[in-house]
Amino acid sequence: MTDPGQEKQTLKFHFTPRQALPGELDEKNPLAKNSTIQPEVIEALGERFGDTITGVSEYASEHTVFVERSAIVDVCRHLKEEMGYTYLSEMGTIDRFTEENRFEVYYSLVNMRTQKRLRIKVRVDEEEPVVPSVIGVFRSANWHEREAWDMMGIRFDGHPDLRRIFMPEDFEYHPARKEFPTLGIPGSLPLPPQVSDGELTLDPFPRAHGSLPED
Amino acid sequence: MFNNEGGFLTTSVDAVVNWARSNSLMPMPMGLACCAIEMMGFAGPKYDVARFGSEAMRFSPRQADLMLVAGWCSYKMAHAVRRVWDQMADPKWCIAMGACASTGGMHRCYGVGQGIDNFLPVDVYVPGCPPRPEAVIHALMAIQEKIRNEYSVTMDEREKDAPMRLERGDIVSASGEVIRHVAEAH
Repeated sequence: MTDPGQEKQTLKFHFTPRQALPGELDEKNPLAKNSTIQPEVIEALGERFGDTITGVSEYASEHTVFVERSAIVDVCRHLKEEMGYTYLSEMGTIDRFTEENRFEVYYSLVNMRTQKRLRIKVRVDEEEPVVPSVIGVFRSANWHEREAWDMMGIRFDGHPDLRRIFMPEDFEYHPARKEFPTLGIPGSLPLPPQVSDGELTLDPFPRAHGSLPED
Repeated sequence: MFNNEGGFLTTSVDAVVNWARSNSLMPMPMGLACCAIEMMGFAGPKYDVARFGSEAMRFSPRQADLMLVAGWCSYKMAHAVRRVWDQMADPKWCIAMGACASTGGMHRCYGVGQGIDNFLPVDVYVPGCPPRPEAVIHALMAIQEKIRNEYSVTMDEREKDAPMRLERGDIVSASGEVIRHVAEAH
């Protein structure tokens, strides 16, 4: 009898991925939305871009297309100008915390005419976290890319104004990375002075250490 | 108190000044998050803080004497809050409204200050997430009580001849002896 504690555990999610229900993908079903399943678009992308499409995954009835980072601008432009995905609804980053391809940049595109959604992902290594900017295609990517730089430290080639968007400009870290401590690094974000004309406070918890701020 | 001829009353200067100050507190609404919505309810007609003379929210720090910090305060915003506090004219008081302003609340993270008392001298803390407007009115009444029980004018006169100037954190014993507070050692 094997020890149940030694068995290989699989992660359990509250949401169970499922295959499409019968009739869900049926074109004639007026209630079927399947707005995130579109094999014809993925097929067309594969024919057009070939090897730069590194993979396609389906999870929870949603398709994701993985793209080489060198091709992301061309893929976005093609999707926008030829296939009607005119709206970049969101874009962000994921820290997978793996040895290879640690960071993931995702783009959620929407086709307003057909009400379809498509997710594109680009994976980059920790050593060279650089992705070409898609501002030339979607201008709304501007602040999203600034946020990705601020929080995750991914640089965007061709961004006109890649500054931090949330944290102070002299902040040295990228706080959404997994190795960043939750309570921050003491001394990296100074508090205001304890008196009206004093020095900045580098201790993040001066009150707990007995300091009484003055008028 | 009143005589039959002119009609005057005797009191102390402190009592008059404190009465005036406590019943005309002008809050500086430092609304940083959702607590500011409750702060608006506190100022609005239903809870009607005009009963306590504090209905005039002053967005200019020069005209305000009560800072009402409502909501979580990030490290980046803390510098602006402290600057507004420094621009307010003395005497001034401060209320930390809600769990986040008091301690950081649920925002236990790198970007949010863990309580505004790390850089402001807070007089009253209001618990709640967010506090009800009644709780803020209670805090305001506590501030009024504090103002009515302090030396406002006579302290200046007494200090000239005082052997030892009282400072924040000092404790005076029953025999009049001044005990320096332990916090000064830090």
